[in-house]
Amino acid sequence: MVKSELIRRSPLRILEQSIHGGLGSGNIGVIASRKGVGKTACLVHIATDKLLQGKHVIHVSFSSRTDHIMSWYEDIYREIAAKRELEESTEIHDELVKHRVVMNFSQVGVSAEQLIGSLRAMIVDGKFGAELIMVDGYDFSKGDPASLVAIKEFASEIGASVWFSATVHREQPEVDDNNVPVALSRYMDSVSVLITLAPEEDHVSLKLVKDHDQYPQENLSLVLDSRTLLIVEPD
Amino acid sequence: MDERIKNMRNIGISAHIDSGKTTLTERILFYCQRIHAIHEVRGKDGVGATMDSMELERERGITIQSASTNVTWKDTVINIIDTPGHVDFTIEVERALRVLDGAVLVLDSVGGVQSQTLTVDRQLSRYNVPFIAYVNKCDRTGANPVRVRDQVAEKLGHNAVLMQLPIGLEDKFRGIVDLVAMKAYYYDGDYGENIRVEEIPADMKEMADGYREKLLDAATMFSDELAEAYLEGDVDQDMLIAAIRKGTISRQLVPVYLGSAYKNKGVQTLLDGVVRYLPHPTETPYTALDLDNDEAPVALKSDPGLPAVALAFKLEEGQYGQLTYMRIYQGTIKKGMDIYNTRARKKQKVGRLIRMHADATEDINEAAAGDIIAFFGIDCASGDTFVAPPLNYSMTSMYVPNPVISLAIKARDKASEDNMGKALNRFTKEDPTFRCFVDPESNETIIQGMGELHLDVYIERMRREYKAEVQTGMPQVAYREAISEHAEFDYTHKKQTGGSGQYGRVAGYVEPLEEGDYEFVDSIKGGVIPNDYIPSCDKGFRTAVQKGTVIGFPIVGVRVVINDGATHPVDSSDMAFQAAALGAFRAVYPKCKPIILEPIMKVSVEGPTEFQGNIFGSLNQRRGIILASTQDGNFSVVEAEVPLSEMFGYSTVLRSLTEGKAEFTMEFLKYGKVPQSVADELIKKYQESKKENK
Repeated sequence: MVKSELIRRSPLRILEQSIHGGLGSGNIGVIASRKGVGKTACLVHIATDKLLQGKHVIHVSFSSRTDHIMSWYEDIYREIAAKRELEESTEIHDELVKHRVVMNFSQVGVSAEQLIGSLRAMIVDGKFGAELIMVDGYDFSKGDPASLVAIKEFASEIGASVWFSATVHREQPEVDDNNVPVALSRYMDSVSVLITLAPEEDHVSLKLVKDHDQYPQENLSLVLDSRTLLIVEPD
Repeated sequence: MDERIKNMRNIGISAHIDSGKTTLTERILFYCQRIHAIHEVRGKDGVGATMDSMELERERGITIQSASTNVTWKDTVINIIDTPGHVDFTIEVERALRVLDGAVLVLDSVGGVQSQTLTVDRQLSRYNVPFIAYVNKCDRTGANPVRVRDQVAEKLGHNAVLMQLPIGLEDKFRGIVDLVAMKAYYYDGDYGENIRVEEIPADMKEMADGYREKLLDAATMFSDELAEAYLEGDVDQDMLIAAIRKGTISRQLVPVYLGSAYKNKGVQTLLDGVVRYLPHPTETPYTALDLDNDEAPVALKSDPGLPAVALAFKLEEGQYGQLTYMRIYQGTIKKGMDIYNTRARKKQKVGRLIRMHADATEDINEAAAGDIIAFFGIDCASGDTFVAPPLNYSMTSMYVPNPVISLAIKARDKASEDNMGKALNRFTKEDPTFRCFVDPESNETIIQGMGELHLDVYIERMRREYKAEVQTGMPQVAYREAISEHAEFDYTHKKQTGGSGQYGRVAGYVEPLEEGDYEFVDSIKGGVIPNDYIPSCDKGFRTAVQKGTVIGFPIVGVRVVINDGATHPVDSSDMAFQAAALGAFRAVYPKCKPIILEPIMKVSVEGPTEFQGNIFGSLNQRRGIILASTQDGNFSVVEAEVPLSEMFGYSTVLRSLTEGKAEFTMEFLKYGKVPQSVADELIKKYQESKKENK
């Protein structure tokens, strides 16, 4: 398959249709689930789809090593390329790498100000025109809504969209009236799209909880493949 | 077993630049009473640390050559190889590692695992060298040895275990709690030479118990006896030491020591750790290749009674001629005996045999397996193996990377020219990554190496040690040409005007080769080119790929297949087929859409976070691809891939952008295609220089 065909037939087009054409620049989307369900894989798949379209992506993480994140990208890319028998896979891969930066924060309690400062340094001084920012592992239970407001403002200023992953702790499974996990309720004013991952018996289903102004509670016709961790259409 | 060899350690001290490796070595020499005063690396007394024996090293405050030195700590003889920390000199580090049985990895208590630590760690793995870690500079602001241990575990993936805890940190760093003895150590006296042992401070007791548990947990993995004793609550110190030793030697455990060499703390306890946990020579398996038996591997035994096998791992120009550092793996070498250099196939007599202490030497009459010593007045190259007859062994060859940068040099006057020749002769023998040749076209002397600093150091050494004043040209990147498409050729070389003629026809195709530089495939059927002429065809193609026609650099990644041809009963000859092959390649080359490749360096920049914008910007301007940045508090590390051609003078630029607070390291990563705009520029320059030379 050639690249354009692969992009056109990506299951992520279904996601875009479901959320009225996509997240949109200056907006924040959140993918929430318990630990170890596949949030990072989802973020990396969405990022890889954008990278294939020639867009620039910054992946922000809060772990101790950057090579873990890079191997996520390698794995997801390999799975996509193998599944679709992508032509000129090596050349396309080398091109993707140029459009991707991992920014890692090792210390605990990074402020929104620090985060924005570093992103600005990369985008402005480093002339890295990011159109998509992935923030993986931000601790919503300890953060405050003002941080998200600041990040949203920054996203509008530079014209990027931002996806976060959010961990819903096992001890706090409750949801509010809109079916939003309570840990995230206070952030909802800044969040345009919320998708939750729900582990079922043999797969993980994607549920659209918030779509811009609405709370549709709709099951997306998408699941996470349990082996490849790619977002796919169910069989 | 021989007590002598059990009480012997050959260790290296490896680290990131400026982690205080030389200061640590200096303190070790002091405590082992090899020196009587302490000089700082960048000391005010202008003497400089004892290990940095070369004038230049003193001036730059970095260690370039790995001097070997012999000390005695308590009953144990320790040979220390002081290894350089800069990436440009990694061949020196690699060579030193080859002869070591163990190592001390020095880490900065603030910087922790830095880019160069990763490189050094990879090298230690490659040569399977067991090591203990020493977290130095615990007196620095921001010191956090516990975090450094975590980094050794997470970033290097080692089972790192704290052997000690600091009593106070930063300017309040006073002493160390030892988790094996469960005692507190204080280092009294002007130079910390008087160790005072006391009970663990009451407020640290609980913490020490907790870390002791962790240590026991880790150690029990290596001893069932200890595990049992642990369950019964009756742990014996010797048992614990034996278990940690087993884990360390098998590279499954890394004991972490700490201290501050500069403040004279924790050095003696580290030496105890070296003796306790690092292997003695018989605990490390070494093999040689038997040259009389198809290079079959043979295990060497650290037995002084067997015929000798030794490796020359380092050369130095001493006052009285060449000084050759040797590691003896087997047997005994005596003054006056005959030894055989298996590479040069030359028998030589052992003249002076000496033990080295940084700048001072001690004459000895013999040395046996396990020892590191030096010869005076034996002519050889670095990496040569010496054996006692009747053996004919060679130690396995060392990994030598190809140079990535070259520089034209020219002597200023006649005297300098002679000296320059001597110096180059010496340097190429000492350092396999340093090469030199005369360019047949420009008639210039070209030196090649692993980076700008690498070559700079040799230029300066020429000036200082050899009184050779040289002018240098612009550094040149070692570009490569390559083909990107398959193309066919059918070429006839014919000269039949007067005298004996020349005739040869070759046909086939060339295509990109994924791995390797050049491959020749003979698919001739029915002898249309007789077998006798096939090697000539190969030779002709080889000549052709040595210099491409796009920008005059070697062509790599080419497979040539010949499948047809023709001969002439009288006029065909070796020369004719060589010419035909050369002509065929020149003709087909432009059809293969040739591209230009350049060396891409893996660059790591480290500095305060406040300057990250400047760092990102500077890398972006240099066609760099920023792969990742990691922020840890106010400290940032940026990893990028940058073409070597863009990195000239980067150290100056970086210094001015960051008030001198950031540093960078780089090493060769791969060859990558140059962008079209750069390729056009290179081609234009090549065309112009060709015109000028006409």
